[in-house]
Parts: sequence; C-alpha cells; structure tokens
Amino acid sequence: MSFEEFQNCARLYVIGALEPEELKDFEAARKQYGSAAEDFINECHSLHEAFALSLKPAKASTAIKARLMSMVRERNKNQSGAEPT
Amino acid sequence: MSSSVDPSVQAAASNRAVQTSAKPIASAVELEPGVASDLDLMLGIQSGDAEAFSELYDRYSGVVKALILRIIHDETGADDLLQEVFMEIWNQAKNFSAQKGKPLGWMVTLTRRRAIDALRKRQAYARAAGRLQAEPERQPLAWVQNVTENAILARDTRVLMAKVVNSLPEAQQRVIELAFFQGMSQREIASNTNIPLGTVKTRLELGLKKIYDGLKELKDEL
Repeated sequence: MSFEEFQNCARLYVIGALEPEELKDFEAARKQYGSAAEDFINECHSLHEAFALSLKPAKASTAIKARLMSMVRERNKNQSGAEPT
Repeated sequence: MSSSVDPSVQAAASNRAVQTSAKPIASAVELEPGVASDLDLMLGIQSGDAEAFSELYDRYSGVVKALILRIIHDETGADDLLQEVFMEIWNQAKNFSAQKGKPLGWMVTLTRRRAIDALRKRQAYARAAGRLQAEPERQPLAWVQNVTENAILARDTRVLMAKVVNSLPEAQQRVIELAFFQGMSQREIASNTNIPLGTVKTRLELGLKKIYDGLKELKDEL
C-alpha cells in the first residue's frame, strides 16, 4: 500500500468506515510507515471536529448542567472524604 | 443537498475567510483574551476541578447536543445523552492525552460513539417491535440550517467549517452523512442507497480528502 493509499484508508478509519477486510492491510501499512502513519492518523481526528463544528449549536438545558454540577461536586466531596488523613 | 444550504452562510463564510487575520488557535470556538483554553480546561477536569468542567459545558454543550441530535433526531433522548456524555467526559478525562489530539476531537469521538450506540439500540428495538419505518429521506441533509447572518458572524470557526463541508458535491456529502452521522459501514451505505460498493468507497475517500485538505487550508488562513 502506498502512503497515499494509506492516507485514504486513514481518513476512513478515523470515522469508523473501514471495512473489516481492509483493516488488515491498513494495520500492516500503519506498522510499515511507523511514526509518519501515527502522525497522519492523529491529524485525521480533526475531521471529527470539522463535522461537529459544521452543525448549528443546539440549545443545551441549564437543568442538565445543574444536575451534572451537583453530581460532580458530590463525587469530589465523597473522594476527599474517603482520602486518608 | 448543496442547494438547500442557506446562501447567507456561504456568503458570510467567504467574507469571514477573507477578513480573518493571524491568531493562535487555543479553542475550536472564539475565546476572549485571557480565557482558559480547551486544553487548560481538560487538565483542570483531570485534576477534579468542577469549575473547569462547568466552563467546558458552557463552551461545548451546544455543539455536543447538536451532534447528538443530528444522529438520533430526538430532543428528549438528546438531553439524556448530553448528560451521559458530559458525565463520561468527567469520568474519562484521565484518558485524554493532548499528544493524541485536541479536547474537542476527543469529546466528539466519545459523543458520536455514544449516540450511534443509542441509535442502533433504538433501531434494533423498532425492528423487534415491527415498527421500523423507512427513514433515509426523513431528515434534510444540509448540515447548517436557518442561520441568521448575525449568528454566523459570531461563530467564525463554525461557519468556516460549514463552508468546507458544504462545498462538497451532494453525492459525496450523502455518503459521508451516512458514514459519520449514521455510523454505517461502506456495505451498509451501498445496500441502503443502491450505489455500488466501489462507488461508495470512492465518494467517501474523495469527500473526506477534500474536507481534510480544506481544514488544512483553514488552519493556514487562521
């Protein structure tokens, strides 16, 4: 597999669209190209950001935030209470 | 699909792309000077800082919920998932590594996995109950809808991203839509759309490459 073919596969790989039979060749090329392959795969994750940021943000509930903050603070309290003094 | 995109989005995107000057990218959204970067917030969350978590929610809950909604198309279910996703962000923050990417990329990966899981469970349930309805054409495919110009101007990054994504030919947008937002494999896309598998693969590869190249150009512009 050429590096250009690997790049095409990597972009499919990060969005989970690589077929199982393509995965074996992809993993072999990934090993072959080493750190250049890993660097490229990491760069490809920016595709995820692009798709999310291309959407119009939705209105998120303040009630959900209040529940989350309550859970988070409760966990912090329990953890600090559980730590040995 | 391209024809359903609000023309003001593309016009404003073009204008903003020209007007944007050099500036550091600390976050995927616009930040005031002195405000903590996404990475600062993630590091804070890793050390149990509830205020950092609160700030991250304020910054990205809208984006995360939009992504969930785009996948499951259900407001109530989206709220439940939004809560689950942010709880997972808190619980799994220790697994985030800046070496492997940006905080938003990590959050989107986590959100997408959760939402597609939920979508598949719903589809399985609907099939079991014999209530599955044909739905491929139910949702409009445009990824940016009904955005006013003021809203656009306030969200440079989003508009520029939308510009990149919406510049693709409709056929490529369609297969990327099914792969990314519906979690379909190439075979599933081919089966659902009656497009030959080889064509699906080619469209996916070309579309993703164009988006990737467009993002690189955007980063250079920024």
